Amino acid sequence: MLKLSPAAQKSANLIYHFAQRETKSRYKRSLLGWFWSFANPLTTVAIYSFVFGVVYRASPPATENGNAENFGFFLFSGLIAWNLFTGIVNGCMGWLQSVSDLRKKVYFPTETALLGGAASNAVQTSLEALVLVAIMAALSNLSWTVVFLLVALLFTIAFGLGVGFVAAIMNARYRDIFYLVGVLLNVGFFLVPVVYPVSFVPEQKWGLPIRALVEWNPPALFVGIARDGVYFLEVPTLGHLAAASAWATLTLAVGWTYFRARSMDISEEP
Amino acid sequence: MTIGQITVSDVSKRFRLERNRPSSLKEALLRTGRRNIDDFWVLRNVDFEIEPGSFFGLIGHNGSGKSTLLRLIANIHRPTSGQITTEGRMSALLELGSGFHPDLTGRENVYLNGAMLGLSRRHMNDAMDKIIDFSGIGDFIDEPVKIYSSGMYVRLGFAVSVNVDPEILLVDEVIAVGDEAFQHRCMDHMNLLREKGCTIVLVSHNAALMGDLCDTIAWLDHGRVLELGEPAPVLEKYLDHMRGGGTTLTTRD
Repeated sequence: MLKLSPAAQKSANLIYHFAQRETKSRYKRSLLGWFWSFANPLTTVAIYSFVFGVVYRASPPATENGNAENFGFFLFSGLIAWNLFTGIVNGCMGWLQSVSDLRKKVYFPTETALLGGAASNAVQTSLEALVLVAIMAALSNLSWTVVFLLVALLFTIAFGLGVGFVAAIMNARYRDIFYLVGVLLNVGFFLVPVVYPVSFVPEQKWGLPIRALVEWNPPALFVGIARDGVYFLEVPTLGHLAAASAWATLTLAVGWTYFRARSMDISEEP
Repeated sequence: MTIGQITVSDVSKRFRLERNRPSSLKEALLRTGRRNIDDFWVLRNVDFEIEPGSFFGLIGHNGSGKSTLLRLIANIHRPTSGQITTEGRMSALLELGSGFHPDLTGRENVYLNGAMLGLSRRHMNDAMDKIIDFSGIGDFIDEPVKIYSSGMYVRLGFAVSVNVDPEILLVDEVIAVGDEAFQHRCMDHMNLLREKGCTIVLVSHNAALMGDLCDTIAWLDHGRVLELGEPAPVLEKYLDHMRGGGTTLTTRD
């Protein structure tokens, strides 16, 4: 067994507590419980498959063996990373808000509430990923490259937490941030190549290298790496991996530093 | 540092009172004129040490800063300047339902409180029966605490605080809320903790109670320590001052 210092042990207990609470409360008083965590991404996949695959007759991007060439799988393999990202960023603001009253009365490290919530999201995403991988295995479209799905999700968690830490602190001061972030994430969903492949984006437009902008922004890198691993069965390019890990670690480091510097002020917000 | 010791070195605390503080981004961006900030020093250059195992009292008029000082010791706020160090497991009973999340049941809150004190679930399982018994909450332990009466809040809070083997216990007058019988049990328990070597800090303006319990008393007035020492002489001066109609009103200067 790993032996932790008392402070780390305390944080670990709290993270576990908050993760459990988040998981329990998410579908409390709902009959179908965890079913809803699949219903949402599944309907999204169905709707977009219909609109793009049937109405626009877009053919799904070709894969090597063609076994799982389906617009729905293409979409779901990217959506899984995107949804994890938005879930954590939106969640962080809510998780901090839900413990801020408590924090005014008793000391505990506030980051544990955010880390616990993120852990709960990560578990849920893992279940979705398992379903995806199982389907891919059944269609014999699986290779060792599936580890890059895991890598992409880990990058996404780190990056999402980095952004979430900053958003949560700012939201404690100005509740507008929650709505602003919601709008930005909505825009992001279409700016990040989740529903279309990067190759559809023109290289230049309005004098801007827009394909490079779409390709190299952090959520797009995570979506791309996940998709490479589980849909195309390709090894992501070294450039993509390097850029993704740099974005993830830097954002997490900045977010964490900012959060630690400001989290003691939470108890003094009116 | 030995376990149970509290060191308050040259601590000052400023609260910012901002009038017309913007509550939304729009207001913050569109505001005209200067920011209206009033600095209010709740504590100024407070400096003392609390010996391990002692029963320390903080007394003073309303708004003297005694509760703020207790909250600083509990690490809820950060001092504006100076430093506070505490050594040992600290449990704090600061106000009604302190440390309880209204939506969780009493039992869940007990686990949460344990986790905040760094105690494992197993440890809390062992303490659970004692806590339920001490609080006299009964079957309500599995109801959300938001439906509790104020007395139940305090009883459960106190039961948790004293049954987790604290090495430092901070208490802010809450015991006054319970009924006579419960207050007696609280006193007995605090005495028991003291015998075990727990450091206790009590905030109150009940001079008689403080005289009975404390080894040392600090008298705070407008954020400064006026007197510090044996209970009898400090309380005498404090009571004289209060009877003399001293500046007991909170003037937020």
